[in-house]
Amino acid sequence: MAHTAERSEPVLDIDRHLRYWKMCLQSSLPRHYLSNEGNRMALAYFIVNSVCILTPPPSETQQDRKPLIAPGDRRKIRQWVLSHQQPGGGFAASSSLVFPVKGYEQWQSETGAQEDVEGPGLANLPATLFALQILALLADENDEAGAFSGVDRVQTLRWLRRLQRQDGSFGEVLKLLPGHGWFIGGGYDMRYCYIAAAIRWVLRGDVREGEPGWVEDFDTERLAEYILSSQTYDGGFAGSSQEEPHAGYAYCAISALSLLDRPVEGSTAPHRSEVLYSGIRNMPGLIHWLSSRQFVYLEPEPPSSDAEYGEREEDEEVNFLLPKRLSDLSLSENLRYVACNGRCNKVADTCYTWWVAAALANLGKGDLLDWQPLRRFLLEKMAHRIGGFGKHPGGPPDVYHSCFGLTALAVMGEPGLNELDGALAVPTRAVGVIEKARAVLLRRSSGEERDSAARAVELGRAMRGARPAWLGAVGGG
Amino acid sequence: MPSKRKAVASKKIKATENSDPSSASPPNSDRDTASTSTGTTPAAALPSTNNGNTDSILDRSKARFALARPYDTLLQQKGGALSALTPAEQSAWLSARIASRLARRPVFASSTAASPPSSNSGSSFGRDLRGAACGGGPKTLKEVWRTVNEASLPLRAAAVPLVKGLEEGISVKEFEARWERKVWLTCSDVASRCFKEKRERERRGEREEKTGERVIVTGQEIFEETGRRQQMAALRTELYGGGVRKDGKLAADPEWDDVVPVVLEEPEGALAAIAYPPEYAEAMSYLRAVMQAKEHSPRCLRLTEHIIGMNPAHYTVWLYRAANVFALKLPILDEIAWLNEVALENLKNYQIWHHRHLLVENYFPTIASDPAAISAFAASEREFLRQILAEDTKNYHVWSYRSYLVGKLGQFDSAEELQAIEAMIDEDVRNNSAWSHRFFLVFSNPEHATPGVAATEPDPKVPQAVVDREVDYAKGKILLAPQNQSGWNYLRGALVKGGRKLGTVEEFASGFVKGLGQGEEGEQVQSTHALDLLAEIYAEKGDKEKADLSLRRLGQKWDRIRVGYWEWRRKCLETPA
Repeated sequence: MAHTAERSEPVLDIDRHLRYWKMCLQSSLPRHYLSNEGNRMALAYFIVNSVCILTPPPSETQQDRKPLIAPGDRRKIRQWVLSHQQPGGGFAASSSLVFPVKGYEQWQSETGAQEDVEGPGLANLPATLFALQILALLADENDEAGAFSGVDRVQTLRWLRRLQRQDGSFGEVLKLLPGHGWFIGGGYDMRYCYIAAAIRWVLRGDVREGEPGWVEDFDTERLAEYILSSQTYDGGFAGSSQEEPHAGYAYCAISALSLLDRPVEGSTAPHRSEVLYSGIRNMPGLIHWLSSRQFVYLEPEPPSSDAEYGEREEDEEVNFLLPKRLSDLSLSENLRYVACNGRCNKVADTCYTWWVAAALANLGKGDLLDWQPLRRFLLEKMAHRIGGFGKHPGGPPDVYHSCFGLTALAVMGEPGLNELDGALAVPTRAVGVIEKARAVLLRRSSGEERDSAARAVELGRAMRGARPAWLGAVGGG
Repeated sequence: MPSKRKAVASKKIKATENSDPSSASPPNSDRDTASTSTGTTPAAALPSTNNGNTDSILDRSKARFALARPYDTLLQQKGGALSALTPAEQSAWLSARIASRLARRPVFASSTAASPPSSNSGSSFGRDLRGAACGGGPKTLKEVWRTVNEASLPLRAAAVPLVKGLEEGISVKEFEARWERKVWLTCSDVASRCFKEKRERERRGEREEKTGERVIVTGQEIFEETGRRQQMAALRTELYGGGVRKDGKLAADPEWDDVVPVVLEEPEGALAAIAYPPEYAEAMSYLRAVMQAKEHSPRCLRLTEHIIGMNPAHYTVWLYRAANVFALKLPILDEIAWLNEVALENLKNYQIWHHRHLLVENYFPTIASDPAAISAFAASEREFLRQILAEDTKNYHVWSYRSYLVGKLGQFDSAEELQAIEAMIDEDVRNNSAWSHRFFLVFSNPEHATPGVAATEPDPKVPQAVVDREVDYAKGKILLAPQNQSGWNYLRGALVKGGRKLGTVEEFASGFVKGLGQGEEGEQVQSTHALDLLAEIYAEKGDKEKADLSLRRLGQKWDRIRVGYWEWRRKCLETPA
C-alpha cells in the first residue's frame, strides 16, 4: 500500500505475551473473572490455546526455551479436564458443577430412566468443545493418538443430539424443569450451532449405520437450513434471521457450515465446502458485510483531565470516531490504524479483528483485508505492556481478548506463531492430533481394544459384588 | 464467666505448704506445674512473673517453665556441668528429677514404692539416688521425698513451654482478653447446641416435659441464633484465623442446618481457578447440595438470588431458579418484577434474558385467549424495554428479546412498537439495532410476509405501499447522515424485499456523488455507500465501465482501507463470484 511508510512496523513480542500467559497459568485469575465462573472451561481453553499458538513445535525451537506447560503438567491438566466429563455425555463447564461420583449413581443413560437425576443437566455444549480442544492441544508428544483416551465418544454424541431443537438450532444445556420435562436451555445463538458442528466433526468420524461405534447423527440438514436462514437483509448473520447481524455470529455460521462437510482425515488441506458455497443465499452480500466491519480508527484527542478520562471510559463514541469530512479518510496519516467492529456503527474491539479476519479467511477471502493497518492496530493500540490484549485501546488485558488477538494474528500468518486452523480455532498441529485421536476412539469401539475394557469391568464387578447402577452411564457394557 | 486473673493464676498452686509427702497418697494432680518458690530454691535468679501486663505471654510461659524446674535452671546458669553445683544442690536436682518422673507415673501400683520411707541421708545418698532413678529401693525413695519436701520442689512440670503458635507473641493482657473470648465462644456453642437440640425436638414433634405443649422454636429464637452464629463465626475467625471457614452467611442461618454443603475441592492440574470471594464459595457448596437433592423450596429460591447477586452470569443458577419457580408454581409476573430489578443492575448480562424468555414462554399460554391481557403485558414489557434501552441502546440481548416478544405477543401491527423504534432512530440515526428491528417488524409481519422466505429474498406478498413507505423512510434518514451505512443497508434490503431493481434509486444515490472521474477537484463524494450502490446499479444496467470506475475510485481515494475488497469487486465485474 502507498500509505504510512514513515514509521516502522511493530513487532509481536512473543516473550512478553508468554509472560502474560505464564501468569494466567500459574496463579488464580483475579476476582473480576467471577462472572465467568460458569464458563471456566472456556477460560482454560483461552489460556492453553494461546500458549500453544505461541510455542513453536520442539523441532523448530531455536533456543532452549523450556515449554511453559511441562509434560507432567500436561497430563495433570488433561486429568482435570476429564474430571469434568459427565456420565450422560459431554463436559461440565466449571469445576463447581462436578459432583462426587455418587451423585450420578441412579442415572441410566441408555433408557433415560431415572430422569429426575441431574446427570446430563450439568454438561454444557461450549465446555465440551473446549475440553476436547484442550485434550488435543495438550496431548503427550509421544502419544498424540491417545489424546482422547477417557473421552466417552458415544455418550457425548448422543447427548449432543438431544441438544438440537426442532428448528435445527442448538441449545447449550439440558435441564429438567418441573412440569416441563427436559428443556433445551440457552438462547438462539449461532455460537451453539457452530460448536455443535465442531464437536460432531471432532468426535463422529465416518462410521456407517450398523458399524460398531455408529451413533445416530443429529439433523445436519436442518442445522444447515437454520444457519442459512439466519442471514440478514444486509448480508450478515445473526443469532436468528430476526435479529441484528453480528461478526461473531457470521464467523460461527461460516465455520459451522464448512465443518458439516469437512473431510474427517487430512482435513487441514484446503477444502471447498459445498454446504457453504452453494448454501449461502447472498455470498457477495456476506463478503460486503464482513469487509464493512473495518473502519479507520481515528485516535481520540488525549483527555484534558482525569475526570474527562473517566467519562471517556463510559463513552463508546471514543472508539468509533467519525471523520469531520469524508475526504479526511483518504489522508495517509489517518490510515495508520484500521479496527473492526462487530456490528454496523459499533466500536472497535480486539476480538472482532479475529472474527472478521477468520470469517473471511474461512471463505478463502483473507486477502481482501489490507492486513498491515489492522495488525498495527492490534500491536500498537490493543496489546498491553504486561502482555496480552485488551478489549479496547489502552484497556487491561483479559484472557478472552488476549487469546483472540493472537488467533487473529496467527490466522493471518504472523511469523513466529503456529499456523492456525481458521474453522477450529486451534493450531493446525492440534487438528492433526484430533484426527489421530478420533481414529483411536473409533478403533476402540470397533472391538479391537474392547477386550481389556471388558476385563476391567469384570474385575470391578467382582470387587464390588454387583453391577453398579452408574456403570451404563460411564460406558461400561 | 471466670475472671481472667483467676484463669491464669489458678494454675499456680503452691505445691509445698502443708503438703505431706509422707502420707500414703501419691502427689496429687493438683500440684501440677509451677510453684512460687519459697525456702531454699534459687528463685531469686529467675525472671519475675509479677509484671504480667508488660511481658509477652511467651516470656511468662518460659518463666513458668523455668520456675517449675529450679535446679535445672540453676544448672543451666552455672554452665551445665553437674560438678558446678554444691552437693546439696546436686542432690536436690536429682531428687527433683526422680520425683517428677515418679509423679508422672499414671498409677503407683506398689505400696512400698508409693510411700516415701523415712531414713537419714548418708554419704551414699548420691549413689542411692542414681539407683532409685533406675527403680531404686524404698530407702532411697524416702530420701527423695524428704529432699523434695524440704526444698519445696514442684512435682509436675510441663515438659515444654505451653504457649505456642498464634498466642506466642502476644502480651499477657492480650492473652487474657483472648481467653475471655474463648470462654464466650464456648458458652455460645453450648447455647447453640441447645438451640439445635430444641429444633430437633420440634422436628420430631415432641412435647415439653413440664407443660405438655408441643416444642416450638420461635421466630425470636431463630433470630437470636442467627445473631449468635454470626458472633461465633466472627470470634472463630478472630481467634483462629480464616483457615477453615464455618462462618459463612448460610452456615450462620439455622434455616440451612439440615444441609451438608458439598464443598468444592480444586484437584491437581486445575486451570483458570478464580480467586472468588469466600461467600461465593460457600453459596456454591450449598447450591451443589440442594441441586443434588433436587430440592425446590423458597430457601433455594433465596439461595439463587444470593448467588445471582454475586455472579449474575451463571447459567446453571438461572436454570435452577427457573426449576424452583415452576416447582413452587410461583406467579410468573412476580418473578418478572423481581427480574426487572436485577436486569437494571446487570445491563450486560446474557442469562437474564434467557430467563425472561423462559418465563414468557410459560406465562403466555395463560393469557393467550385474552387480547386485553396480551396488550397489557406487551405495554408493560415495552415500558421496561424502554427503560433498559435508555441505559444501553444497542444491547444485543435486549434487542433479541424484543424481537422474540414481538413474535410471541403478535405485536407486528402495534403502532406503539413502530413508534418506539422510530423514536430510537430519531434519537440516534446510527443505531443499527433499531434499524434491524424495524426491518424485522415490517418485513416479517405475518400479515403479508410469506412464511419461509429468507430476509435476503424478494417477497411478492409484501404490498408495494409498504415497500414505498420503507424506501422513503430510509431515504429520509440517509439525507440526515449520508455516510451512515445503516440507512443504506436498509434501503437496499427494502428494495430487494419489494423485488425492485437497485436502479430505482439511481437518481437518489447520484445526489451524493458529483463529477465522478473528473479529477481531484471535480470529484465530490458525500457518501461512499452511495458510490458503492451506484457501482452495483451500473453493473445491473450493464455499464461495466462506470461500475469499474466507481469501484476504482473507492479503492483509490474514498475508501482506501477497503481497497482489497473494491479490487475484488472489480474482478467480479468480469466473472461474477
